[in-house]
Amino acid sequence: MATHALSPAAVAGYRGGLYEWLTTTDHKKIGIMYVINSFLFFLIGGVFALLVRTELAVPGIQLFTNEHVYNEAFSIHATVMIFLFIIPMLAGLGNYAVPLMIGAPDMAFPRINALSFWMLPLGGILLLAGFLTPGGAAAAGWTSYPPLSERGALSSPGPGQDLWIVALILIGTSSILGGINFLVTIFKMRAPGMTLFRMPIMVWTMLVTSVLVVMATPVITSALVMLFIDRNYGGTFFLPPEGQAVLYQNIFWFYSHPAVYVMVLPAMGVISEVLPVFSRKPLFGYKAFIFATAGIGALGFSVWAHHMFTTGAVFLPFFSLMTFLIAVPTGVKMFNWVFTLFRGQLTFSTPLIFAIGFLTMFLIGGINGAFSAAVPIDFALQDTYWVVAHLHYVLFGGSVFGMFAGIYYWFPKWTGRMLEEGLGKVHFVLMFVGFNLTFFPMHMLGIQGMPRRIADYADPSWNGWNLLASVGGFIIGVSVLPFLWNVFISLRNGKVAGDDPWGGNTLEWATSSPPPPYNFDRLPEIRSERPVFDARHGHVAHGGHGGPVEEEAPAALEEGHVDSQGPGGAS
Amino acid sequence: MSTSPRKRPASEAIVAGGVVVLLIAIVGLVFWSGAGSSLFPPKAVTDRAHEISQLYDVVFAIAVAIFLAVEGLIVWSILRYRRRPTDTELPPQTHGNNVVEALWTAIPTVIVLFLFGVSWDTLNKVDATSVAQGGQPDVRINAIAGQFQWQFEYLDAGGKHLATQTKALSGSGGGGMAVPVGKKVYVTLTSGDVIHAWYVPRFLFKRDVVPGQTNHFEFTVDADEAGQTFHGQCAELCGTFHNAMHFDVIAMSQPDFDAWLAKLVEVANATPPPPPSGAPTLKVEAKNIAFDVKTLEVAGNTPFVINFKNDDPSSITHDVEIRQSDGTTVVQKQDAIPGGTEKNYQYEPLAPGTYTFICSIHPIAPMTGTLTVK
Repeated sequence: MATHALSPAAVAGYRGGLYEWLTTTDHKKIGIMYVINSFLFFLIGGVFALLVRTELAVPGIQLFTNEHVYNEAFSIHATVMIFLFIIPMLAGLGNYAVPLMIGAPDMAFPRINALSFWMLPLGGILLLAGFLTPGGAAAAGWTSYPPLSERGALSSPGPGQDLWIVALILIGTSSILGGINFLVTIFKMRAPGMTLFRMPIMVWTMLVTSVLVVMATPVITSALVMLFIDRNYGGTFFLPPEGQAVLYQNIFWFYSHPAVYVMVLPAMGVISEVLPVFSRKPLFGYKAFIFATAGIGALGFSVWAHHMFTTGAVFLPFFSLMTFLIAVPTGVKMFNWVFTLFRGQLTFSTPLIFAIGFLTMFLIGGINGAFSAAVPIDFALQDTYWVVAHLHYVLFGGSVFGMFAGIYYWFPKWTGRMLEEGLGKVHFVLMFVGFNLTFFPMHMLGIQGMPRRIADYADPSWNGWNLLASVGGFIIGVSVLPFLWNVFISLRNGKVAGDDPWGGNTLEWATSSPPPPYNFDRLPEIRSERPVFDARHGHVAHGGHGGPVEEEAPAALEEGHVDSQGPGGAS
Repeated sequence: MSTSPRKRPASEAIVAGGVVVLLIAIVGLVFWSGAGSSLFPPKAVTDRAHEISQLYDVVFAIAVAIFLAVEGLIVWSILRYRRRPTDTELPPQTHGNNVVEALWTAIPTVIVLFLFGVSWDTLNKVDATSVAQGGQPDVRINAIAGQFQWQFEYLDAGGKHLATQTKALSGSGGGGMAVPVGKKVYVTLTSGDVIHAWYVPRFLFKRDVVPGQTNHFEFTVDADEAGQTFHGQCAELCGTFHNAMHFDVIAMSQPDFDAWLAKLVEVANATPPPPPSGAPTLKVEAKNIAFDVKTLEVAGNTPFVINFKNDDPSSITHDVEIRQSDGTTVVQKQDAIPGGTEKNYQYEPLAPGTYTFICSIHPIAPMTGTLTVK
């Protein structure tokens, strides 16, 4: 491959629009397709959530006269939100950002990147096709614990459960391929000067996320294959007396707990980019933050059975201790973020507001998790609405607010247009208020004894909280409208962004908006984790840093502006 | 955009401040109205629940302190460090501080180790059973969960089966168990089909009922709770009618409990009364969650009998309920019987017309049929 930059005219316009999008291997176009596809599934998953909240708004059975369909609704809601919205949305943000942030022209394996993406809509269609089969879609919860997910008259007799298994194996394969692609890209495609300890935190979180994905996803695939054999070929892996029901839970959570970090670490990466830019300060404790991220990744493999405290088949003290301990690196991150704001100069643009939304809500999601780490309290809380509150404070209050921070932050880079600030703030306020109205009352419902996954409830003291949660759910639904309108009008008439509308720190702001297909005509010097900041302000502001770390790139390559091809860029 | 000076106070800060004030107002209103007490567990009624409730209070106090400290720091930073028009120079470019990093690693570590210690201590009390310690509980009960009904077997001290309670003890449907207050009750959980969970909110306790595995726990209901009924419910998704797997725990004084158990044993050992002579007898069998007949016919205005046989596994209970032809309005109920047993259900005379016969525990198409009364 040529080592000098191509001019934009050399590649532009040789394929038509739709054909170009369907066949592209450009990480930026693939990243945008990830984002759009994930957002569509967010809307689909949201409709299921609103159906569930409509049923629960008042006691009695109103909407789901067939309670089996209610079980399908919450099972598909969670499966879609986790596997087709949160994980791929963050993978999409990373897909767009990572090569740009490390000064690379593309991902290491562009065709595999396209393959990873196209498996997702296919998996989603297979999953939803369950509704067209006799017996309906999968209805055993997103966890699909056997024996309920096994074949049986009162369990999961229909093909919907098999489609669920096949869809998850496809989506998992997509994740594994994506994870390998990120790892190779990050280790082999960095521009000269971009040492590991100069990488943006977003890249670090994608690195740790990819390690988790590559190590954990094959494990859940094994459980899914065994379940498929049980269901279709007479296996008894999870059927007593020959098999063990709890075995599935161990394998499932060995993946699915690290998957929680897959769902939140990249969002942490996003806000670790947003907070410094809008505070005009570096991230407080850059290296401590990286060690905390790696620590979470490592500890994340030793806490899976805290989802199983009530099974009577878990070594409780070990998993309780590890679960408490994982709060420590998470706390380190929280303090580093808050001290990034501290003594900064904050500009309350929409990305920062969503990032602060992440901080305030994720804090609650961390604290209410500590209650469940205390095993005896978990005996009360497990499988109640408290757990529903906890997981939504982490995955919605954390991940979803974080990804909206990222969407508002990078939309100008993706499209060349700014999103409108006023509509962005309306979106935030509606979503923030709706979110808290929906999910805070679930703490009360849980501790008062309302189990999750029930279509009806008998205790009149739960009525008020349920109604409040349902009202909040519809406010969340409405909050998406100003966002969609904002995207629509900004694409048509939005303010032109320019290369660097926010005063960014990282390399994506050193190229045009949107960037050319090969990303960079030239790169600024990379002497710290904020090369674009350095280019804007010189090195004057670098007093407090612990000194540059020795890099593995040849020093000779680090003079002045280098072109876009890193040493490992021949793909 | 971030470089352009702006007038103060920034509208964004007012929005952010407004949101914070609104939230504080909501939280204040919730606690002022008494609804804040919903954030605490309901009044504990067993020895174990008191331990868990106390632990909850400790964790809650620490949680609120951490929440207020960190959330306060965030809100204060937002309000105090807004960018002002005069801020043309960069703020101090602080990259970090190893001392504070060490501090906010060490202090949370101490806090979580403390929380682990107190929760482990409580766990040892909650999970202790007299059987594990080589002693004898006062009452032994096997709780058998099946889709979608609870059965409670009462055992004597030697583990010998005395009698089984297969129906609700109060009006709320599902299953029911009676226990004496102030006595050690030892429960063994078994399931014949999928995973269920035995959950009583007032006990602050649940334990999964896992097929192929027996779980045990023990509790003692407070002496002053005699006469109280505590609602319980399956807490692990177990299928279409998971929602219907309720049960009640009725706390009784020891004499009341003894009388209740004696009655249960007496009924269990009594010879069932013979069907009234001359009453027509129909036969219905249930197997693989389906009735063997879909239509029944009987003469009007005369009592009749259904000889009902349940051929499913013992954890699965069935009954034959008569409903109006709409399939929902109940006309005559019967007590469910466990798998492997049979019973002669005796029905009152019915007016001529078309009715539905149905298993109330599995009201699905294969367990629904038409009863024609001529």
